[in-house]
Parts: sequence; C-alpha cells; structure tokens
Amino acid sequence: MSVALPTQFEFLESFAATWGDLRTQNERYLKRQSLPYSELEAFHTALANRLEEVFSYLDKFPADALPEAEARLFRTVLGLTEASQAVEVFGQSRVPYAPFPHSVQQEWVGYEAH
Amino acid sequence: MVDIQQHMTKAKDFGLDNGRVPVEYYTSPEYFKREQDMIFRRAWLMVAREEEVAEAGDFIVRDLPALDASVIISRGKDGVIRAFHNTCSHRGVALVCQERGNALTHRCPYHAWVYGADGALRAVPSEQDFPHVDKSKNGLSRVHLDTWNGFIFLNFAVEPEVTLSEFLAGLDTMLEGAPFGDFPFYMQVTDEIECNWKNLVNAFNEGYHVAILHQKTLRPAVVPKENPHLHYLDVKGFGPHSAGTVQRNFEYAPTAPVLTWVYAQMLPTSAPDKQAIAEGRAGFYEHPGINRLKIPNFGTETITIFPNISIQPLANGYLFYQFWPISHDRMRTEVRIYSRHEPKNLREEFAMANTLAATRDVVAEDMAMCRLQQIGLKSGGKMYQNFGENEPLLRMFTRDYEAYLAGGGLSPPHAQAAE
Repeated sequence: MSVALPTQFEFLESFAATWGDLRTQNERYLKRQSLPYSELEAFHTALANRLEEVFSYLDKFPADALPEAEARLFRTVLGLTEASQAVEVFGQSRVPYAPFPHSVQQEWVGYEAH
Repeated sequence: MVDIQQHMTKAKDFGLDNGRVPVEYYTSPEYFKREQDMIFRRAWLMVAREEEVAEAGDFIVRDLPALDASVIISRGKDGVIRAFHNTCSHRGVALVCQERGNALTHRCPYHAWVYGADGALRAVPSEQDFPHVDKSKNGLSRVHLDTWNGFIFLNFAVEPEVTLSEFLAGLDTMLEGAPFGDFPFYMQVTDEIECNWKNLVNAFNEGYHVAILHQKTLRPAVVPKENPHLHYLDVKGFGPHSAGTVQRNFEYAPTAPVLTWVYAQMLPTSAPDKQAIAEGRAGFYEHPGINRLKIPNFGTETITIFPNISIQPLANGYLFYQFWPISHDRMRTEVRIYSRHEPKNLREEFAMANTLAATRDVVAEDMAMCRLQQIGLKSGGKMYQNFGENEPLLRMFTRDYEAYLAGGGLSPPHAQAAE
C-alpha cells in the first residue's frame, strides 16, 4: 500500500492515486495521454497555484533522501509537468496529430530523477 | 537598427534554383541503400561529447541505426579517446552491453576474451587453441575518430576522404571557442517514428512552419511581429553545413501559473536571461560567430551539420538534435537538452522536468507532422515536393545530398554567405 501524503497536502490524495506511484517522465507522459482532459484540468486547478506552498514544505527535506510520504508528494507534483502541458499549452490531453499511445524514451544522464 | 528584411536569405541568394525535389528521395528503399553507402559511410558523423568520456576508462556505447553499427567510445589510460566496433575478435559478439560506464578492460561474456580500454586484446582463455591468432593484431576494430570543440565525430570509411576540419569547411572556424563545454549536463529524448529521416532534417531547416504547426507551443515565445513566417536571417553556407540566425519574441512573458512558477525557479533552456545578456555573461550570445547581425531579439543560431545534426545554441544551454534513418520510412530522433548543471534541488528538478516535457512536445509536433508527410508522400499522387525561396536550406541540403550520392560532396567549395 502507498503511504499517505503529509497531512497538509491531503487535498492531493485523489491525484496521488493517479500520479504518486509513477517514477519516470515516460510513465507520466503516457498517463497524461490516457486521461480525460477534465481530469488533467481538475489536477491543474487543485495544484497549479499552490506550487510554492508544496516546495516551501519540501525544501525542509534532503532532496536525495526524501521520506516516502514526501517522495510520493513530489512524484505527484511532478505529474503536473505533464498535466500543465495539456492544460496551459494544448487545451487537450494529447499533442495534436501525434500517434496514440505515443511512447518516447526520456532520460536524465548522470542524475537520479524522482 | 538592423533592417531584417535585407537579411531574410532567399534561395536565389545562393543560386539555388532546385525548387522541385523528387519524392522518390524520401520513399525509395534504393535511395536509402545509397545514402548508407555514399553518405553515412563517407561523412564524419557527430556522435557524442568529450565530457561523456571524461576520465580514463570511461566508455559509452552508441548504436548508429543508419549503418547497423554498434560503437564503443572509450578513453584509454593514456587519455586518448578511441572508437571501436562493438564486436569480439573471436566470434563477433557485441561484448559491451552497458550504455555507459567506467572500465579499464572489457570482457566478452561469451568466452571471456579480454580487451583493454585502448582496444588491445589482452587475454584469450585456453590461448594454446588459437595458435593462428596473433593477439597484437586482433584487438577491437577501430573506427576513425576526431574531435572538434569537444564534439566527437566518427568516420566509417576505410580511409576518410577528408579530415574532420576539411569536412567542416569553415563552420568549425566560425564557431571556434563557442562555449559548448560550459553546458555539460543533459536530458535526452529518443523517439522513433515511421517517416523518412530527411523529413525531420527539413523541418529543422526552416522557420516557415513555426507559426502554424507550433502555434500553441513555440509561436508565442518565438515568432516576433516583424517576422511572422520566422524567416531565417543571415544564412551562411559552409560546404554542406549551414548556420542561420533566428529571432525570438522578447515581449513574451508567460502568464499560465505553472510556467510562471517554473520561470521563477530556473529559466527554461530556450528563454533569454535578460539580465545575463545585459551583463555580457550570456554564454553563446557573446560569441562573434553567433548572431553576426547583432539583432537585439536574437533567439538562436540554428546550425546544421551534414548529414543529420541540428544544434541550437541558446541563452541557458543548447539543444542538440540528431536524425538517424532506420530504413527508408522509419527513423529515430535523438534530442539532448544541455544545461549548465544538474538540478540542485527539487524546485530545479521540477523546472527541468517541465522543460523536458515542453521540449519533447514541440518535437512530438514535428514528428507527428513528418509522419503525416510520409503517409502523403507514399500515397504516390505527387512526384515532387516544392521548396520555396524562403526555404533555402532545404534546397542547399538537397544539392549536397545529390552531390554525395553521385560520389562527390566532400571537396567543399569555400564558405559562402548570401550577402
């Protein structure tokens, strides 16, 4: 079972069920493509204006050794890098005209990304 | 004030009148075969950065689908970088299976033949059974390697027809000392799709499509009012290579909440750092070979290295694109987003992940369109594509592509500028 998010971020719990256990940008990109736009929009509405609050909290923890609740919070928040592309750029879940599912390899070279 | 109209390079400025190009170049398996033999086995191919093999024993393995080649690039104990085909002298196994690492010896997993980082065959188990194998002559097979400004190039000819410097034909001189080494960290996107590789080469060689195809992604940040079709400026030719100056919309400021927050943490690779520019510490902006016109809303210098590289130096790093054919109608794009450093904290990791997603989506738009283009080209209704006066680099590429296929192309004319 996944651990709960830190108490003050309970409002993200339903989104953590979608995003919190994804561990790569490849998975997040595929997830975004598969979700209805309304779900991406709801996630964006809940979190986009509260990023500073989340990161002010996460700043207190070591980036390379996050406790699991905080790690799950950060992974959930990383889902917004994909949801915001859909909401702030395209107004739809997928890149127009791209094949679906569109699977690409994304890699951080020499850095252990969350 | 620069009158940009005067610098919108047209095809006729280079004497390029090849406005109609056969579709067959893009759809025929026979042309792909000729490309392999006459281009990819003759040209110097840029494949890596020296920083990727910084220390003795550092190695990387690169697959080059255009040649069905697997290559080990390795820095020896002597500090020399060498390239080898990834194949054991015994029975041919591709012996290095890791993508990168550090090792002073490589051991074949089949029968444990051992090679040094310099490629020399060091050990053969049960050596008495191979009396006909002279160890000194059975090291890993070398691939010609040379470097320029930190970039590693390979050449698969038995003997290269020209040196790397001759191949680069003046582009190297213009960009000598450009600070690519200041941006050692990269994120990579790899995407394979069903289309001809030259569809992508062409897409990166013109700005005409940016306001249309990229209307939601790039257009707001990139396309300035005075140049609505994003015509490349001051196009310079160096043999088959080229560089052209591209503007940016300096009035752009994001308003969407996530992007605004990202900008406040760490500027995306492509966004100009106005303060750094004002203080004269904006990396590539200071280089004399970049933005020769000194236009104030400079975005990037789009640099094309024949046959399959596009590099875009930006304010906070650079973008590197490589387009590999896999067959006549399948290709792989590799994109690397180079930055000054890896993320220093979670805020920067989020910002860089966001830049990764945004950059990938722009490339996804190009890939999507090039796939639709291939469907159309294959359908067979057209014998020709039309390349406009505002697409001089497409005509230039075609000119040099034809020259290579005919057995030439490697004795480049002197560097030429359109003006």
